[in-house]
Amino acid sequence: MKLLLKFFIAVAGIILASSLPVLIAGWLKGQWRWNIYFESIGTTLQELWPINEIAFFNYRAQRPMPLFPNVFEYITYSLQILFLALLVAVIVSLGLTIITMLLSEKARERVKMALYFLESVPDLLIIMLAQLAVVLFFKQTGILISKIAAVGDDRIYWLPVLCLAILPTIQLYRLAMLTFQEEERQMYVDLARALGFSKVYIVLVHMFRNAIISVFFQSKKTMWFMLSNLFILELMFNLPGIMLFLRDNMYPAGFLVTVFSFFLPMFFLYSLGEWYFVRRMRGKEAV
Amino acid sequence: MWKQPYFVIGFSIIAFFLAGSFIYEWIWGNVPRQIYYIMEGGRAVEGAPISPNWQFPLGSDEFGYDLLGKLMLGAKYTILAALAVGALRMLIAVPLGYILGTYLDKHRKWISSLADSMHYIPLTLFAAFVLTPVLWMPPEGFTNTIWERIGIQVLIMALLTVPIVAILIANEAALLRDKEFILAAKTLGAGRFRIIRKHLYPQMREKIAVLYGQQVMETFIVFAHLGLLKLFLGGTKVSYDPMFGDPPMSISYEWAGLFGSTFRYLQSAPWLPLAPVLFIGLTIFAVSLMMEGYLRSKNPKVKKMQKGKAEEPLVEWNREQLRAGMVRLKEKNQLK
Repeated sequence: MKLLLKFFIAVAGIILASSLPVLIAGWLKGQWRWNIYFESIGTTLQELWPINEIAFFNYRAQRPMPLFPNVFEYITYSLQILFLALLVAVIVSLGLTIITMLLSEKARERVKMALYFLESVPDLLIIMLAQLAVVLFFKQTGILISKIAAVGDDRIYWLPVLCLAILPTIQLYRLAMLTFQEEERQMYVDLARALGFSKVYIVLVHMFRNAIISVFFQSKKTMWFMLSNLFILELMFNLPGIMLFLRDNMYPAGFLVTVFSFFLPMFFLYSLGEWYFVRRMRGKEAV
Repeated sequence: MWKQPYFVIGFSIIAFFLAGSFIYEWIWGNVPRQIYYIMEGGRAVEGAPISPNWQFPLGSDEFGYDLLGKLMLGAKYTILAALAVGALRMLIAVPLGYILGTYLDKHRKWISSLADSMHYIPLTLFAAFVLTPVLWMPPEGFTNTIWERIGIQVLIMALLTVPIVAILIANEAALLRDKEFILAAKTLGAGRFRIIRKHLYPQMREKIAVLYGQQVMETFIVFAHLGLLKLFLGGTKVSYDPMFGDPPMSISYEWAGLFGSTFRYLQSAPWLPLAPVLFIGLTIFAVSLMMEGYLRSKNPKVKKMQKGKAEEPLVEWNREQLRAGMVRLKEKNQLK
């Protein structure tokens, strides 16, 4: 019930945001266009209603095409890249964290410092360097590792996923390091150590279970960051994804469709995670 | 703060860009030097865009303008705008967050889930969507001046994430509010405003400073992203001439524009898009250096840790001494 309320509030927030340009265009001319703003929201919602009749101008096909089911291709492609990158980032960062936790205190501080400064590398730089590197490699050896731009409707996977995963990996790595170190100060770690468990076992079994919850709840910002990156990635690789679709349809209805295509799976994922972790925490208290 | 090497290095990088930008304009005017081709032994060996060499450290663009000069001229727009966005955002969000955290605490829950919906809208996308009517030149030309547009852009970009920052501060304030010293102040009759001013704000000053640094870094990234979308700081000059239309151009030499308008030369003249992004990266790095230096100057945790480490060998030595003493004791007992 609470979840449903949260869902509707979030939906309302997105809908309110979708017509903001109207308000700002009016504001530029020195007037408050509240009426037009709410009208725009109304018409946008009406436009969306018979959901299978919406037509958008398709840039690649150069003619208007019905939104459904065409848009699903875009959405699935974007979501595939997003979640593959997320999966890579989570696995790599957690793996590295566990390895780093076994190192000495001094080495850990150094790693944390390096990560902190690595976070300031702009995503654009990573993508551009990756593209340049692929071309350079091709020129040197004649082997094309991956295409650097999608032409027409072909799909490229691993290079975009890699580019998208690098920065979130660094962020999650640092976040996980901080949480694990916080966890290390807890009493139960001392107890486990006193009982003679090895360091690897404590980190892997005891600390991991507790720290992962906190990492999950703090990972929302990384997800947000990844969405922006995905947008840029699709532009730079010319991927036929939902973000590129939006660029050609920069008006409220297109905005809504795009945002919802991300909002629904992500909201679902986070609610599921929250529900699972909260239930587990409660279960622990009961036992 | 000024004794921290990290802070000083970061500060000098940013100060160098800003001062260099103004001095460059003062000495050489606001048009960078231009060269069409390089002569070598009476023959032209390279035409514009010229690749980086000793005379032009970063090469030149497709019209022969010196890229380093362009970057230096543009530094002040980008850096000052990003600093302004961060400052304005904090100026609005901090009081709002305190009001939410103290006066409107009952409503904090639902307001925070409303602000939470922002986390599902990619920031760049949102900014591009909202700023297009401001920055994209309409066919009849801009009606406002470049400074007005920069002002409007800064204001809108500041407002975009005000809800998220305000909620962050409100949650932090609500956490602090349950602490004993606040309860004590309340018992002594302090009003809400006094608690905010005298207790909550000093407690959170460091967090607010770090938050400000993060906002500035985020703003640089969004500027660069907007540049890729051809939405430049201060507006995009669009040529509506159907026959000889120029590509969209930035009006000032700000970095996002330098990057966005040259991105398509990535393979043929990689220094053109790479240099502005590198400069943006360097500035972000400088900001993070300053943040780290500031934090280290405020809580000397690092120093304490070093002290703790220095004491450790002493403990080791004591233990050894103890063991040696015990061995001696044992030997004595055995002798008896």
